[in-house]
Amino acid sequence: MNPSTILIILFLYAITAKGQPNCNVYLWNSDTAQYKACKLLTENQHKYYQFSKEFHQLVDSAIQVCPYFAYAYREKAAPYVKSGNFILWKQYIDLAVKYDTLSYLPVRASLRYKFFGDYSGAIEDIKLLEKLNKSDIGSTSNGTYHLSVVKALCYKQMNNLHKGIRIMENLLSSKNYIVGSYDRFHLGVMYYQNKQYEKAIEMLNKQVKENDLSEARYFLSLCYKISGRVDEYNQSKLLALKLYDEQKRMSDPYHFMIDQITKQEISNI
Amino acid sequence: MIKKIKSAGQVFLFTIVLPFFISHTLLAQEIRWVDDIVADSLQDGVTFKLCNTEAQIIQYFNNGKGAEYLGGKPAIDSLFFTSYHKVHTDISGMIRIRFVVNCLGETGRFRLLSADSNYQPVVFPDAVNSQLMQITKSMNGWQTKLWKDVKIDYYQNLIFRIEQGQLTNIIV
Repeated sequence: MNPSTILIILFLYAITAKGQPNCNVYLWNSDTAQYKACKLLTENQHKYYQFSKEFHQLVDSAIQVCPYFAYAYREKAAPYVKSGNFILWKQYIDLAVKYDTLSYLPVRASLRYKFFGDYSGAIEDIKLLEKLNKSDIGSTSNGTYHLSVVKALCYKQMNNLHKGIRIMENLLSSKNYIVGSYDRFHLGVMYYQNKQYEKAIEMLNKQVKENDLSEARYFLSLCYKISGRVDEYNQSKLLALKLYDEQKRMSDPYHFMIDQITKQEISNI
Repeated sequence: MIKKIKSAGQVFLFTIVLPFFISHTLLAQEIRWVDDIVADSLQDGVTFKLCNTEAQIIQYFNNGKGAEYLGGKPAIDSLFFTSYHKVHTDISGMIRIRFVVNCLGETGRFRLLSADSNYQPVVFPDAVNSQLMQITKSMNGWQTKLWKDVKIDYYQNLIFRIEQGQLTNIIV
C-alpha cells in the first residue's frame, strides 16, 4: 500500500469517526488550523462538564482557531440536545453537518427522532445519507440501531406501518447485515400492530431465542391471547413479568423507547 | 491525545458519573449550567423550595434512569391526551417545558420554549401554552431521584409535538 493510499484511508477514518477525531489526519492533510483546533479541544475537553460555561468557552476557542472544525459544533450542540433546547441544538448540529456531512448527518438523524420526535426530519436526513454513502449508512450515535431501523420506526410512528415493515424485511434479509439487539422485536411488533399475528409470533420467537426481552414476551402474550392460545398466553405473560423484574427489558438513560412497556401494562394484559 | 472512550463503563463514567462528581467538587462556586433555570419569585411564587443547593441540581438523566414518573410514559400520555383540547391554529412545531423536581417530588420553576417544525423560534397561541403548562404543573407522579442514598433535586424536560393545534406526541 503506497503512502498516499494510507493517507486517504486515514482521512476517510477521520471524517467517518463518531467519537473524537484523529487530529493528526488534519496535519497530514496540511490543514494546520483544523489540527490546532482539534488538539485544543480534544486534549482539554475532559476537564469540563458539557453543561458548564468553561466547556463552552473551550469549544468557542477551538471554533475561533478553526471556524470550520465540525467536531467543535457537534460538541457545542451536545448539552442542548440533552436539555431539550431544540433551537440551539439545531443551530449547532447544522453547522457540524455543513462542515462534515458524512460524519454528522447520522448523528443529526439519530438525535432528531430520539430527542424531539422529528420523524420526517430524521427520514429526510437518512435518505440524504443513503444518497451520499452508497455502502453502509451506519448506526445511531449511541449504537442502538442501524439507521435503516430508525427509518422504519419513523415511518411506523408516522402511521405508515407497511413502509416500516418493508424496510425491516429488506434489512433483515440483506446478506451482510448484522442483526441488532432489538431489530426482530420491532419487526415483530409491527406485524402485531398490522394484525399479522402468526408472522409476529414467528419473529418475536426468533427475537427471544437470541435476546430474550420482557417486551418481546409481552407482545407474544398479546398475540397468543388474540389467537386463543391460552396456555402460551399465560406462560408468556408470566415470563414478561419475570424478565421485567430481572431488568431484562428495554432501557435508555434519556427516554422511554419506542415499543418499551411498563410493568403495569404487562399486568393489565 | 485523549484516548477514545470505548467501553460502556467508560461512557457511563464520563456522561453520568463524572458530571455529578464535578458538581460536588465545585459546590462552593456559583455554577450556571446550560439551560439552568434561575429562580424568579415573580413568576415562580415562593412556595417551591429546593432540598439542596442550586449547584447540586442535577439533570434528569445523570442517574442513568431517564424520566421517572409513576406509571411511566403511558401515565403521562394518558394525562395529556385526555386533558388537552385542540386549539384552532395553523402553527405546528414543538414545545419544551423544563422545570425542577425537588427531593420530595414537588415541581417548580416551569419555563417554556417553542419552535416551529423547522426549529425556528415561534410563539404558539396562549391557549396551547397555557393548557400544556397547567397540565404539566398538575403532574404529581414525579419520583424522587437518589444518588448514593441521598435524595436530590433535578431538572426535567417534557417535549410536546403540536400539529396545527393538536397534541400529537410527547417525548419523555
